[in-house]
Amino acid sequence: MLSALIWIPFVGAIVVGCLPKTIPAHRIKLGSLIWSGATLLWTIWLMSQFDLSRAGFQFQETLPWLETLGLNYELGIDGLSLPLLVLNSLLTWIAIYSSREQTERHRLFYGLVFLVSSGVAGALLAQNLLLFFLFYELELIPFYLLVSVWGGKYSNYAATKFLLYTATSGILILAGFLGLVWLSNATSFSYSALLEQSLPINIQFILLGVLLIGFGIKTPLVPLHTWLPDTYVAASTPVAILLGGVLAKLGTYGIFRFGMGLFPDAWSILSPWLATWAAVSVLYGAMAAIAQKDIKRMVAYSSIGHMGYVLLGGAAMTNLSIVGSVAQMFAHGLILALLFHLVGLVEAKVGTRDLNVLNGLMNPVRGLPLVSALLVLGGMASAGIPGLVGFIAEFVVFQGSYAIFPVQTLICVVGTGLTAVYFVILLNRTCFGKLDNAIAYFPKLEWSERTPALILAWLIFLLGVQPDWLMRWSETTTQQMVIATTFPVTTPDPYPDPIVQSVFNPPALANPKVTLPVALNPD
Amino acid sequence: MLQFLIQTVWLIPLYPLIGMVLSALWSPSIIRRTGPRPAGYVNLIMTFAALGHAVCACFEIWQKPTVYQAFSWLQVAGLDLALSIEISAVTLAAIVVITGLNFLAQLYAVGYLEMDWGWARFFSLMALFEAGMCSLALCNSLFFSYIVLEILTLGTYLIVGVWYNQSLVVTGARDAFLTKRVGDLFLLMGVLAIYPLSGTWNFNELAQWAQTATVDPTLMTLLGLALIAGPMGKCAQFPLHLWLDEAMEGPVPGTILRNAVVVATGAWVLIKLSPVLVLSPLVLQIMIVIGATTALGATLIAIAQIDIKRALSYSVSAYMGLIFIAVGTQQIEAAYLLMLAHALAMALLVMSTGSIVLNNITQDLTQLGGLWHRRPISGLSYLVGAAGFVAIPPFGGFWAMLTLADGLWPDRPGLFVTLLAVNALTAFSIMREFGLIFAGESKQMTVRSPENIWAVTLPMTILAGFALHLPLILQSLNVLPDWAKLNKDLALIVIWSSLIGVALGAVLYVSPLVAKPIQLPGKPLQNFFAYDFYTPKLYRASVVFTVDLFSRLTDWVDRHVVDGAVNLVGFASLLSGETLKYGNIGQTRFYVLTILTGVVLLILLVSWPLFTAVWSQL
Repeated sequence: MLSALIWIPFVGAIVVGCLPKTIPAHRIKLGSLIWSGATLLWTIWLMSQFDLSRAGFQFQETLPWLETLGLNYELGIDGLSLPLLVLNSLLTWIAIYSSREQTERHRLFYGLVFLVSSGVAGALLAQNLLLFFLFYELELIPFYLLVSVWGGKYSNYAATKFLLYTATSGILILAGFLGLVWLSNATSFSYSALLEQSLPINIQFILLGVLLIGFGIKTPLVPLHTWLPDTYVAASTPVAILLGGVLAKLGTYGIFRFGMGLFPDAWSILSPWLATWAAVSVLYGAMAAIAQKDIKRMVAYSSIGHMGYVLLGGAAMTNLSIVGSVAQMFAHGLILALLFHLVGLVEAKVGTRDLNVLNGLMNPVRGLPLVSALLVLGGMASAGIPGLVGFIAEFVVFQGSYAIFPVQTLICVVGTGLTAVYFVILLNRTCFGKLDNAIAYFPKLEWSERTPALILAWLIFLLGVQPDWLMRWSETTTQQMVIATTFPVTTPDPYPDPIVQSVFNPPALANPKVTLPVALNPD
Repeated sequence: MLQFLIQTVWLIPLYPLIGMVLSALWSPSIIRRTGPRPAGYVNLIMTFAALGHAVCACFEIWQKPTVYQAFSWLQVAGLDLALSIEISAVTLAAIVVITGLNFLAQLYAVGYLEMDWGWARFFSLMALFEAGMCSLALCNSLFFSYIVLEILTLGTYLIVGVWYNQSLVVTGARDAFLTKRVGDLFLLMGVLAIYPLSGTWNFNELAQWAQTATVDPTLMTLLGLALIAGPMGKCAQFPLHLWLDEAMEGPVPGTILRNAVVVATGAWVLIKLSPVLVLSPLVLQIMIVIGATTALGATLIAIAQIDIKRALSYSVSAYMGLIFIAVGTQQIEAAYLLMLAHALAMALLVMSTGSIVLNNITQDLTQLGGLWHRRPISGLSYLVGAAGFVAIPPFGGFWAMLTLADGLWPDRPGLFVTLLAVNALTAFSIMREFGLIFAGESKQMTVRSPENIWAVTLPMTILAGFALHLPLILQSLNVLPDWAKLNKDLALIVIWSSLIGVALGAVLYVSPLVAKPIQLPGKPLQNFFAYDFYTPKLYRASVVFTVDLFSRLTDWVDRHVVDGAVNLVGFASLLSGETLKYGNIGQTRFYVLTILTGVVLLILLVSWPLFTAVWSQL
């Protein structure tokens, strides 16, 4: 069942690539849309079969492959990977929908998109470290081509930078995996086998550090992020959606699955530093975004800050905060995809992304009223206005993390305020103001351009008012992850009140390291 | 039947929401066939439904115990977010005021925005505000109150920005959004921080918790400050007051709602939180100081303004300052009365001045004058609003001020004097505006000025009727303070303070005794008030400057240090590759030598542990 998620897009890639040249581009787009729609439907069906009450991996598939190497074809999903799989299938579909029909070399383009989708699905499903690594590297080349061939200005520079960065990330991850397997004398790369490793804590620190840098590049976290603005800006809209919406999540997924999952002891000791790192990332991303003059670059920088919240939730390691982090990954994927789609539309219709040139797009007659309205929605969702999905995910992260890391959490709250600052700058400059009638002869918005934006906007709104549909998937899994992590330092219980204690997740909060009043009190 | 209306009170916020969705349909597509007006009518109908429901439910619940209802929203990982609503006489009365004022404001908008094409946007935002405020009134949870306040912040951004073509509107909308957001974020921090302590967000349970809670004083002070920051932003208190002034660039019908009730959302939440705030006496002190500073400062600023709408907006801040004082001194009843009196009177003042602005095409007080004979209805409405605003018996403001004064005397004489001063100055300020608009000679802009069409005038007169009858309504509901228990001497002093203000204003601005235009002494002092204490400069020099500086700095670091380092590595590897190229001389022995050196180094490296082991043996 799970293999289908890898092999349907893979077959799609081969079929699309081999189609005769005579088929017109819009037919190929339609075909790709249907094909990826089938993957999406399959994912939704899997969702309906998913057992919410079970914590472990479900639908496991195992095929022996190179057993001497310890490499087996092992797949499985749990509450951590399921939302991301859905996101992958959904955004692949959206990305294909939002691609322009005039795309050159369209067969190769759609083929590569399918390949990327297949690779990401494989990485999310893999229960074997080496298999994960293979899939993780598999999407690298297609992305390189997608950025460099169909990209905009400086696309070669950006694509090379992306390639070098991600290759480094891959090498580090491989090194971490190999080190783990060799040092722990494991017989295979199987995830379940490695869960029981008991390495000395120093070794764990080194391996975790290597993995954190590797996945941190992908996420990306400051200061490993400089490939991101260049690549996102150079990439065409559908590729940017896939990059920001799906690929970046592999970084945080890896941090959670392999960092926190395999090295719980080292993770819990490092967690204050991770939370600080997250807070720095949030502030840095927001501050850098405020200074941007290019709306796509601004949206790209917004991504850095938002991935910081995910790390914060992971570092706090309460049941609530991790559920929030998973929700935040999903929410951020939706919001970023919407924003990139809209920014792409603005660029396509108006012909510029420069904040100093854009003006008055809200004009109902000659402007782009629908794009402006949705831009307001997307920007506000990103800035964490309640009623939209971004808020509740961030709130759950904050509420879950506050008891453990109050200072870092409050810094992240300030970060959401700064997010509002740059989105207000963006909206004020692009949507508000007076439209220059002399240049306002924009092409009409097609339905094929509206539909993906409307679908995303609807999802952002729907999950914002009904967050239960987003949060329920990961709860059981995260509970297990939290129980697996042990706290090495024991301090008195800060919540003697039993009611309060039961409100938070009891196992995680049984002995947190930072007591609340102490941390807020400067003395 | 009526019991059913109480059980379904939660429907009230949904009526305007339905109206909002329906009227949004008139955004550009349908407009070409029908024009924009149906969007407004749909909303009027829905608002009327909400009003009717609220009035019936209010009569039914009167004198009956409070009903609590809870709706489960999100249960995740031990966190149970249930929407708890409180159905009581007070909340339903608030809803009646909100929906009633909204109905009148929307009717007013039908006339005021006759020529506007943005009805769909405007009316759906009005409906959003109505829905938000109704749900806030019902809401019994700090968490959901925060949600509503934050959505209303976005609503303010959009409704101030309705006329987004104008540059002042754009900056006004931006500043309103960001200033309120600052307050909201502190409130969010408070929301996050209070939960681990209290284990609940429901206001009634928070009040119970606060009775027995022992919290570290420093923590409680920080928490209290975070909690009052949200209301400070909403109520336009110093130093978060500037947005209300700038928001006056929005359309007048929106201003009616904003000045009258939207600002009071902050005060409402503050009242709900007051049992928690009591835990920190320092926070109460700070609240009182902020309230008193705002009340005095904003009134003085109002006197120095030449824009009608801005002058009124500062009077709003001042009144909200009085509510801060009331909550800070734990006089909840006075706070409720102040809110009610303020809502009706201020709505009436804005409606009346708005109807002047509409057909004189200016809101500059120096260009107006001599309108009393041409605009008697607007003039009378203004006077009724003014009478309800300051302490003139028997209108609403009098009872509210008297209740507050009664609580302040004799324990807090300083605050009592402040209250008298604010009242006198407000009376002066209101009379000054009256004189500048209605008295004196006609000017160029006021030569032709008939009363407006019924859609503008009718809601104004209806509201004037309500403002006049407010004491009777209050008395019939038995919420008027008991005359026998009140200190009559205080009442006299309060009345005298109003009379002094009114008389001074009338002599200076209404009567022909003093030559016009009036030059008050102290030009630098006047400028100090006219430019809002130079707050815009203060903002620019502090917060805006800091954020701007840091963002530029981050950007510079990002481009030149972080990315620069990466590019340097890339450049160095390219360069070294290019340099190595010249080392290729094509002789086998050279390559062999290179390879050999490499292999030896590798072997040394790999067997290093062996060497060290041997070494340690020796």
